[in-house]
Amino acid sequence: MDHLLPPEIVEAGRAFPQALAACADLDGLLRLKGAYVGREGSHAARLMDLLKAAPKEQKRDLGAAINGLKQEWEEGLKARQTELETAKKNLTALASNWDPSLPPPVPARGALHPLNRLMDRLVEVFRPLGFHVEEGPEVETEVHNFDGLNIPEDHPAKASSDTFYLAAHPELLLRTHTSPVQVRTLLRVAPDLVRLGGTRFLAPGRVYRKDEIDPTHSPMFHQVEGMLVGHGIGMQHLKGTLEYALRALFGPHTEIRLRPSYFPFVEPGCEVDVSCPLCGAKGCRVCKGSGWVEILGAGLLHPNVLRHAGIDPEEWSGWAFGMGVERMAMMLSQTPDLRLFFENDQRFLKAMGGLD
Amino acid sequence: MWIERKALAAEIPAAAALDTRQLCELLAALGFPVDGVASREGTEVLDVDITANRGDAMSHRGVAREVAAKLQQPLTPLAPPPAAEGAPKVTVRLESPACPIYATALLSLGAGGTPMETQAFLLALESSPKGLPAVDASNELLHRYGHPTHAFDADRIQGAVSVRWAKAGEKLVTLDGVIRSLTAQDLVIADEAGPIALAGVMGGEGTKVTEATRRVLLESAWFDPKTVRATARRHSLHTDASHRFGRGADAAMASVARDLLVARLQTWAGATLEGAWTVGSLPTPDAKVLLPEAMLTRVAGEPLTLTEASEILHRLGCTVELHPEALVAQPPTWRHDLTIPDDLAEEVLRLRGYEHIPSVLPALEGPPRPLAPAYLQRQALARRLAHLGYLQTVTYGFISPEADAAFAVVGNAPEGRTLANPLGQEYSVLRGTLLSSLRATAEQNLRQGVREIRLFEVAPTFTSGPQGPTESYTLGVVWGGTLGGEDYLSPARPVREADLVGIAWDLGLDSRPEVRSLGEGLFGFELPVSDLPQAGARIIPAFRAFSRFPAVERDLSLLVNLGQSYEALASAMRAALPGTMLQDLRCVDVFRHKSLPEGRQAWLMRLRFQGDRTLVGGEVDGWVASALAAAEALGAKLRA
Repeated sequence: MDHLLPPEIVEAGRAFPQALAACADLDGLLRLKGAYVGREGSHAARLMDLLKAAPKEQKRDLGAAINGLKQEWEEGLKARQTELETAKKNLTALASNWDPSLPPPVPARGALHPLNRLMDRLVEVFRPLGFHVEEGPEVETEVHNFDGLNIPEDHPAKASSDTFYLAAHPELLLRTHTSPVQVRTLLRVAPDLVRLGGTRFLAPGRVYRKDEIDPTHSPMFHQVEGMLVGHGIGMQHLKGTLEYALRALFGPHTEIRLRPSYFPFVEPGCEVDVSCPLCGAKGCRVCKGSGWVEILGAGLLHPNVLRHAGIDPEEWSGWAFGMGVERMAMMLSQTPDLRLFFENDQRFLKAMGGLD
Repeated sequence: MWIERKALAAEIPAAAALDTRQLCELLAALGFPVDGVASREGTEVLDVDITANRGDAMSHRGVAREVAAKLQQPLTPLAPPPAAEGAPKVTVRLESPACPIYATALLSLGAGGTPMETQAFLLALESSPKGLPAVDASNELLHRYGHPTHAFDADRIQGAVSVRWAKAGEKLVTLDGVIRSLTAQDLVIADEAGPIALAGVMGGEGTKVTEATRRVLLESAWFDPKTVRATARRHSLHTDASHRFGRGADAAMASVARDLLVARLQTWAGATLEGAWTVGSLPTPDAKVLLPEAMLTRVAGEPLTLTEASEILHRLGCTVELHPEALVAQPPTWRHDLTIPDDLAEEVLRLRGYEHIPSVLPALEGPPRPLAPAYLQRQALARRLAHLGYLQTVTYGFISPEADAAFAVVGNAPEGRTLANPLGQEYSVLRGTLLSSLRATAEQNLRQGVREIRLFEVAPTFTSGPQGPTESYTLGVVWGGTLGGEDYLSPARPVREADLVGIAWDLGLDSRPEVRSLGEGLFGFELPVSDLPQAGARIIPAFRAFSRFPAVERDLSLLVNLGQSYEALASAMRAALPGTMLQDLRCVDVFRHKSLPEGRQAWLMRLRFQGDRTLVGGEVDGWVASALAAAEALGAKLRA
């Protein structure tokens, strides 16, 4: 189409990219803009005059050529303007001590301890099912820690080789599990159980056992207890609840598996395995190639546990579970040594908090 | 417990068809998970986890019974040729109900030893053969059939044998060479000279079988589980025998095990049976248990017929009567753990397989309950501190007496919080303070070379009381090292006490916390969580009107004495100002320099006024003048 245009304009079109690049600042760019697309006297203005004067049969082709040129110039000018504006802003910032390429001041970042985060998450998972949180003291009586849980009076766990006792109060001990919270809560709600419509709660907390400190043992660790009491509660309700909760924790494709086991305070009792959340049950180091990881112990409440609280096991039934928080945290994070959770090295705490 | 594959298959031939993985899965599904598999003595052994309630399963025969019931395949019959019983050769008296039955035999030993395959069997189970047929056979029977037996050197027994309670203070040297001082609660087997065995726990050194033994007197009895458990615990003597008797052995096995032992001694050692006899009788069978159909349905989560339940219980050895809405089961002599309906329901579910249990969410029967305000407060507090840059720690609840004394409140006697059996002195006191633990953690991190450390913990601390320690949640915060200096805009400065006060105020404390110096550039405070405000009951607090008129700020540079109390000065100035107009008064800078008069410092006080109208310059000047006058009354002077 160039033959329709005056040669000096064709030449100006060719020179445009170079002229644009040569603009070092916004003032220069403004001058270039005036020369090419300004309202008066610019190349674009001359072209419009040319179009007006052109014979009718040429108008269509000429119009297309002119529009193409104008569009090229306008877009080029706009892009260059953005570039020059950014450079100017950076230059101004540098003048005021602000270099956007330098690392900015970042507020100090803290983190919740991984064990607390995991316990908080478990509470969140169970909240929609109507579970609240119950707590109890760490210094407990034998009745709450053992007897009320149908643990026989000569059970080896009661021995001073397994359980910490207080010197000045031989009847007091450090709770060996969060299950005494079951006993306390049942005793408290028993008179009101009908009005309350049973009870369902989680009991997260610290527990103590007389184990020497090593990579897999600690004299203090954390458990989360779960308990539900209602009418006609059976193993199906335990399975349904745990399936929901463990899927909420580990993902919707998680499978659970109940295996028979024994704890004095439940009957029937079971261990619960979850399909390995790390390898998707394909088999890995964490699940020892089996695809399953043992996650908690559970069962239907032994009638003696209900009776101890004055609750009629003919009318009420329920289930309970208990899980080790450290065990789950170690599994999820593949932390090789339990002691790391109690050493509180800031590098560990930050990494576990998702920082750094 | 180790289970040898071939010995298991000898009891339940159908198990031979399973590969190791299938067998492990089958056992796990029955409630006996396999913790490991090993290869020993050219054979494969499984480490099977047997729960404490299942003493009956603590043998190859016991595990085989379970496998047989699950696979619905027959067990190999256990019918040794019965030893012909005759008149007692030695008088045996049962003087305690804790031993209702005692089968025995007297044999003369000939030549021979323990067969190689038996020695290999014992080695595979990590039990060492002694090369003495009477000892090894007894040991083998225990692992194979679960019934503990014992052989005495008959020529070292003096007179009649009795099973009786020990006399307090009586002595017995047990097979492990330890001199045991007995109590009246220990059941013993004794001859006329004194105890020769701790019943169901361990034999005595003085009557043990040796290379020189020519005649053996066997013991195959049944002892009360509780008695055996108590004796084992009292003497810290936990043996294969005490584990099995302590969990409840099968009394019907007493004479069978004796017969098996006799047969082995005859075959292995050419022994001659001089006589076999049994004293006492089988104990009363355990009570029958009733299982209502409704309960079975509730526990199982779906209707199960009593016929199906009955068939399963029958496979486990129960004798079952069917009634219209319930069944009644007589547990077999080896199952002492089946005592309530729930136990039977569990057995039915267990044998069917827990994988058949349906999955149902329990309906809500009552209104859900909110989370307790104190719990929410702690959660919010921890989150707030994490946002402020603090790392949450978890440290042990017990510490050393010295660490406790460093910060625990005077009057909180450590004696009331001391453990009777701590892991060590450094873990012996339930802590009355979090600061010692936090200090140790902070120091350990600073030693790693971190510039700045911010830590907090929310945990119970313990206070001694007449009824024992009481617990209350405490917040501990430590902060130390160098603040800033990590980027080009934040100048470096050491962390100061004042920074910790600021944090406490940020958390809502309405007083000044006691900030403790914990070491070089390290500070901390702790306070009861209950001192901090809980979220109000109102979702959104009540509206309080605020001024829309412009504020006026005035700065006063005051020369005050070093040692001047800021609180005293600030409250004197506040008192001199109209409360409705004064919005804020604070010291925004402190200047100390030798150019100032001796003993003086300069405080830059900033006063901010705002009211329900536009303020006039003149009235503000008047207020500032009265504030200055109040300051001057305390010795301050306007700095020129």
